[in-house]
Amino acid sequence: MSIGLILLAVVSALVLFGVAQRVLDKMQLTDRAALLIAALIFAGGLAPDIRIGRVAVNLGGAVVPLGVCVYLLIKTDTSKEFWRAILGSVLTAGAVFALGRFLPNEPEQIVFDPNYLYGIVGGIIAYALGRSRRAAFICGVLGVVLADIAVAVVNWLGGLSQTLVLGGAGAMDVVVISGLLAVLLSEFVGEIYERIVRQDRENHDAVDTPVRKEAQKK
Amino acid sequence: MKKFLPILLAALLALCPAAALAEEPGDDTPYRIVNEEGSVIAVIGAQPDVGDEYIAGDNGHFRITAVDHTARQATAQALGAYPMPDVSWLREDAQPVSARKKAVALYCTHSDESYEPTDGVSSDEKRGGIYDVAESFKKALEEKGITVYYSDETHFPHDAGAYRRSRATAESLVEEGVDAVMDIHRDGIPDPDEYESQVDGEETTKVRLLVGRSNQNAESNKEFAAQIKAVADELYPGLIKDIYIGKGTYNQDLLAQAVLLEFGTYTNDKEDVLASTGYMADVMNRTLYGGVSGAAGSKTSNTSAASSGESRGAWTGIAWLIGILIVGALIFAFLSTGRGKETLEKWKRTFQEMFGGLFGGKKQQ
Repeated sequence: MSIGLILLAVVSALVLFGVAQRVLDKMQLTDRAALLIAALIFAGGLAPDIRIGRVAVNLGGAVVPLGVCVYLLIKTDTSKEFWRAILGSVLTAGAVFALGRFLPNEPEQIVFDPNYLYGIVGGIIAYALGRSRRAAFICGVLGVVLADIAVAVVNWLGGLSQTLVLGGAGAMDVVVISGLLAVLLSEFVGEIYERIVRQDRENHDAVDTPVRKEAQKK
Repeated sequence: MKKFLPILLAALLALCPAAALAEEPGDDTPYRIVNEEGSVIAVIGAQPDVGDEYIAGDNGHFRITAVDHTARQATAQALGAYPMPDVSWLREDAQPVSARKKAVALYCTHSDESYEPTDGVSSDEKRGGIYDVAESFKKALEEKGITVYYSDETHFPHDAGAYRRSRATAESLVEEGVDAVMDIHRDGIPDPDEYESQVDGEETTKVRLLVGRSNQNAESNKEFAAQIKAVADELYPGLIKDIYIGKGTYNQDLLAQAVLLEFGTYTNDKEDVLASTGYMADVMNRTLYGGVSGAAGSKTSNTSAASSGESRGAWTGIAWLIGILIVGALIFAFLSTGRGKETLEKWKRTFQEMFGGLFGGKKQQ
């Protein structure tokens, strides 16, 4: 069982147990929709890739996650949020492309395995841009897809006829892993950060309120 | 905009250690692994890391305890002899298992890898000589009656994203229902003597087995590699150089019997490397489908014994990973509620909502 499948199973379990309720609310997804998406990613991943010329696209590994991205982009509350998600995706794609080029070639020379690093980058960028879990998924998925397209274009311009495979590993593909990791990371970091801020504010209010009340009395 | 700029900057800075901890690209000086007495036990092109394991040609087992990147030297602690799998069945009157389809998969993540003396370059940006090795290995495996799912797809460029691109290839091969998946490489150490060998009097090169330890299949893949080495040591001593268990996934999370094979190094003659593929095919055939003790058709095959050990390893890995995820979920629940009691209450409430009708007595109205 690969890390992608395990992540999918864990996410499905979290949805079933209601733990991921708040994340799903923030992503404007229902429990049923989330489970349906997980099932479609899994089943679609087993279907053969759709090949058009030098491009191969997997249903579960690319079409379903990209469809979710389109849905999330349509559901954005403001145009500012929409453009933030797009900007985040472009930044993530740039980071994924740059990480590929500038990090050492071998996985053992890198602190994190590159396959997991892309989701971490997507999550950090999305959270930094707008503390959005929705944008995190979009950045994780679109970032990797756009970076793969950029690599293919560079290859083709260099005279290589290498196939561009998008999400070819289905549920186990880096596109899926990256999207899920980005959401999990932004939620995890978000919870810690927001809790620290909330606690600071409570402490501040606890100290401030009696003083203010005393001043008002006077 | 001003609000998130510092956070963005911090995030980018946070990524810097990853790059800083990485070696300078292009620095291909190999690392020496020395034991506690300072004697060199191995030279490797990969960068060692604390916690990596090494199983030497003589089955001496070591764990890396320190790495000096400036001196490009790693110190390894001796752990004694590695408990190699019992392959005494090889000496028995064994018959090949032919009841089921024999199938393996081959692909090359690093499409440029070549052999300088015969290919002219060590790295061919169009199609490396490594594909000739993979094709020769495929042919030799097919001669043993094994169906080989081979992908000659390239995964250029040879950068940190190569394994991301080869993942789709590996997964599509795994979907064919293969018994093992092998990623074919050549090493990057400059000294050809490190790999030169003779098997049955024939000039050949050794094969190094590389296993990633950063995935849930690490234990089963390590056992698989040990099984391969044990069989090779019995049949063709000198064919398997050693086993390196390093940091990384190498897409070996996709199957419990996945291994990366380093066929020689870039300074070896490709002809010598090609000579090793026939022996290696025999080793893989015997390791995976080696035969049965006693009459053909007996249900007690060595393969099932190996597989059961590997399944145990895979399930142990998955159990560990799920355990880590549960601990992560508990920490997350604690952080989102703030107090231990509230966390417990939240989980209790969720559990009751889910299974309230199944457990506990009915409340009195």
